[in-house]
Amino acid sequence: MNQIQLPEGFRDSILEECTKKNRLKNTLQEVFESYGYEEIQTPAIEYYQTYSKAFKNLNDQDMFKFFDTNQDILALRMDMTVPIARAVTTRFKDEMGPFRLRYCANVYKVRPSLAGKKCEAMDCGIELIGLDHQSDLEVLLCALDGFEALHIPSYLLEIGTVKFFEEACKNAKVSDKDRTVLADLIDRKSMVELKDFLEKSSLSATAVEFFMSLPLLSGSQAILDQAYALSFSPTLKEIVIDMKELAVALSELGYGDHVNFDLGKIAHLDYYTGIIFEGFVEGAGTSVLSGGRYDSLLKVFGNDLPACGFSFKIDALADQVHLEQKKEKVQLIYGPNQKTEAMKWAHELRKTKIVELVCGFEDEIYIKEVQ
Amino acid sequence: MTIAMALTKGRLEKNTIAMLDECGYGTEALKNKGRALVFADTKKDLEYFLVKANDCITYVEHGVADVGVVGKDTLLEGGKDYYELLDLEIGKCKFIVASLPETDLFNKVGQIKIGTKYPTVARQYFLSKGMDVEIIKIDGSVELSPLLGLCDGIVDIMETGTTLKENGLVVLDTVCPISARLIVNKAAFRLKRNEILDLITDLESVVKKNAASTQ
Repeated sequence: MNQIQLPEGFRDSILEECTKKNRLKNTLQEVFESYGYEEIQTPAIEYYQTYSKAFKNLNDQDMFKFFDTNQDILALRMDMTVPIARAVTTRFKDEMGPFRLRYCANVYKVRPSLAGKKCEAMDCGIELIGLDHQSDLEVLLCALDGFEALHIPSYLLEIGTVKFFEEACKNAKVSDKDRTVLADLIDRKSMVELKDFLEKSSLSATAVEFFMSLPLLSGSQAILDQAYALSFSPTLKEIVIDMKELAVALSELGYGDHVNFDLGKIAHLDYYTGIIFEGFVEGAGTSVLSGGRYDSLLKVFGNDLPACGFSFKIDALADQVHLEQKKEKVQLIYGPNQKTEAMKWAHELRKTKIVELVCGFEDEIYIKEVQ
Repeated sequence: MTIAMALTKGRLEKNTIAMLDECGYGTEALKNKGRALVFADTKKDLEYFLVKANDCITYVEHGVADVGVVGKDTLLEGGKDYYELLDLEIGKCKFIVASLPETDLFNKVGQIKIGTKYPTVARQYFLSKGMDVEIIKIDGSVELSPLLGLCDGIVDIMETGTTLKENGLVVLDTVCPISARLIVNKAAFRLKRNEILDLITDLESVVKKNAASTQ
């Protein structure tokens, strides 16, 4: 067999793609650093159990799995949040928080075959561990400043909360089984089936109206008034008021145009407990940032700390950014007996230019510009 | 912002274009296709392209198309990474289970073999009945497979039922109704929100009008 293929879903990055990814990575890391986040690196391999403990709704088939010498199941990390939650509970065991950690690492997920999707992707993000929802604004600002630093003209951060749907289910006495179905239908904004499902259910008319509106309960700050009007219990109203507070603060800080709200947001990861948010940029067909608050994840590993974080999807972003003018590149052509002289000259030139050495046949030395 | 719309070729094509016409959109280019592959609307800021049903989902999932019109049959069988915002109520038909009259499919002892072009739909249906069946993927003339003894039964799309009747098959159950849906890319729903909501409002009014006229 002529073995030249990569496994499906994996790819080499070369030339400009690498440059773009590195630029994105460096720019974001600088922003994170300015917020006081320190770097953490964890292994690409974790015990499968670490993940199955962290998620109740873990989809086994999404993970690359294999065995170690003891026949324990290993897995390639599918995100950085779980490894960091694990690491913080052991490495910083008796230290006082809060911990501000940043990372840039490849994560792995099994994706559908022949669909043009990547199994390996670079995540660049932060986790703020040890502070409660009062720090939500700080985390959101860090994400917004990340977008600003990347000089992407049109980006949008969409903020929701898992609490809105969950409280509504509790108040409307939706059974656990129905809750799962409802969550899936609202998440996929599957209006036809949602209507069918709600019509067949025994929920009150108010609740039906509420759930039917959820998938489209998104937009600028004004949508929060609509959400308030639909809220059929004091706890729901409280959640909207908290969200409004966040909205006011964000527009006061000048980010109003870049922020949207979606009260119908459903978390795909069941460890989220508060706000969840996603970032979008023009041209990318998927979200390029995702994050949220996960106040009960660290408890799973034995250290009960609240936390919030997000990650930028570097690969999805790389396709949408343009590189600024690079350094000028020249070729220095020299003869067989002029090696030392050429190296000396090149050393000088490299202070301002990129210099590629070319050995010619004749003893002459000159510079040629390269496009 | 321009909306890129992927339309499913074939069965749904004519009905979809008729709906767009009814909305007052400029679909002339779609009707006189020539060699072009992408067709600009002459009245609205819309761009159409015609693709096969399965590809419609792929284009929308990747955001190459912002919205797409595709049958529920294809959606049930394919990916799920999109929003499904509207039932256009065209291309109506249903998924059914059929077999020869003498086969007692649901009470057969031993391995049950089902021929279908829609393995995911078939598997889910039988699982919901508590049955673990063997699925055999067949790409065309599915109704032939029980006649020739390849399968015990089939899961297939039925429009009028004529083909089944002609081949002596009987319908045992309806799996679910099918019609064309409007699907939307997740990022486009945020970034081109107003344009997409306008399109939905326009199409929705036609759906209502069509429903009223058939009653």
